[in-house]
Amino acid sequence: MRSIPAGLEPETEPGIASAEGGLVFLDGPDGIAKTMTADAAARTGQSLIDAAAIAEAQRANGDV
Amino acid sequence: MFTERFLRDKRGASLDTAERTRLEAAISEVKTFAARKIIARAGEPLDQSTLLVEGIMSRYLDDRNGLRQLVAIHLPGDFLDLHAFPLKVLDHDVATLTPATVAIVPHSELEAIAEEMPQLVRKLWFATLLDAAIHRAWLFRLGRLDATGRVAHFLCETNARLFSAGLSDGRRFALGLTQADLAEICGLTTVHVNRVMRQLREEKLCIFRSSLVEILDPAGLAARGQFNPAYLYNNHDVEHLSSRQRQKS
Repeated sequence: MRSIPAGLEPETEPGIASAEGGLVFLDGPDGIAKTMTADAAARTGQSLIDAAAIAEAQRANGDV
Repeated sequence: MFTERFLRDKRGASLDTAERTRLEAAISEVKTFAARKIIARAGEPLDQSTLLVEGIMSRYLDDRNGLRQLVAIHLPGDFLDLHAFPLKVLDHDVATLTPATVAIVPHSELEAIAEEMPQLVRKLWFATLLDAAIHRAWLFRLGRLDATGRVAHFLCETNARLFSAGLSDGRRFALGLTQADLAEICGLTTVHVNRVMRQLREEKLCIFRSSLVEILDPAGLAARGQFNPAYLYNNHDVEHLSSRQRQKS
């Protein structure tokens, strides 16, 4: 019998962002497909970096 | 004949002559609509269903800001609001995307068919189940695929649907949709769709130009969109291998 994964797993592969025509395109990981202004992309990127730092600290502290 | 494409080439559900004749007789009226016209609104009582004879129509929902998400498109041969027969109201709007011709079937006629020809009712039920299968595929597309995959999946699906309706040769078909329509179908911005279409062209998978889609590499496009046509229940698949078959080979 095949085992079925319970729920979605955290993504381990990064999304790929690229710029074209003054806009930022975020393609992937699977299910993600967004177009953002440069400002929105920069603020999203900073928010991701900040959250990643907090998540890493949580793991280092065993707070998971 | 207005019903010739309805359930054409569908596995175990194609209409026989008597059933098709009865359905033709049930049509009360044939109407034409210009492109971009709303023909039914959510919540309005309905006493008729609509068989699409020519053109493309959509079902859609708008968000609080008026931004539209197409939740289904309908192609010639689709009985697009057959579910309104038991439900009596729709939970979404219906509009034309291109000029369209529709055949109107009053619900009183469907009631009569239910009495006279239960085997035809089973086939009408099949049509609504097919709609549900397509909705499941659309959920998968939006939930699991990236931008290129979503567009690739949609183009493969449309090709397979039109092939079963006799409106695609398996690689080329007319599609009177704009990139804005594709964006609303695939949950993308128009510029994102434009970029994806260029990518598909550069990868020699597909060209969409002047309302004509040409699939250059059917197997490659199916693989890019993780498209498996099984959910369309066609008797004859288009010539390409499904992505699952391709992965096995």
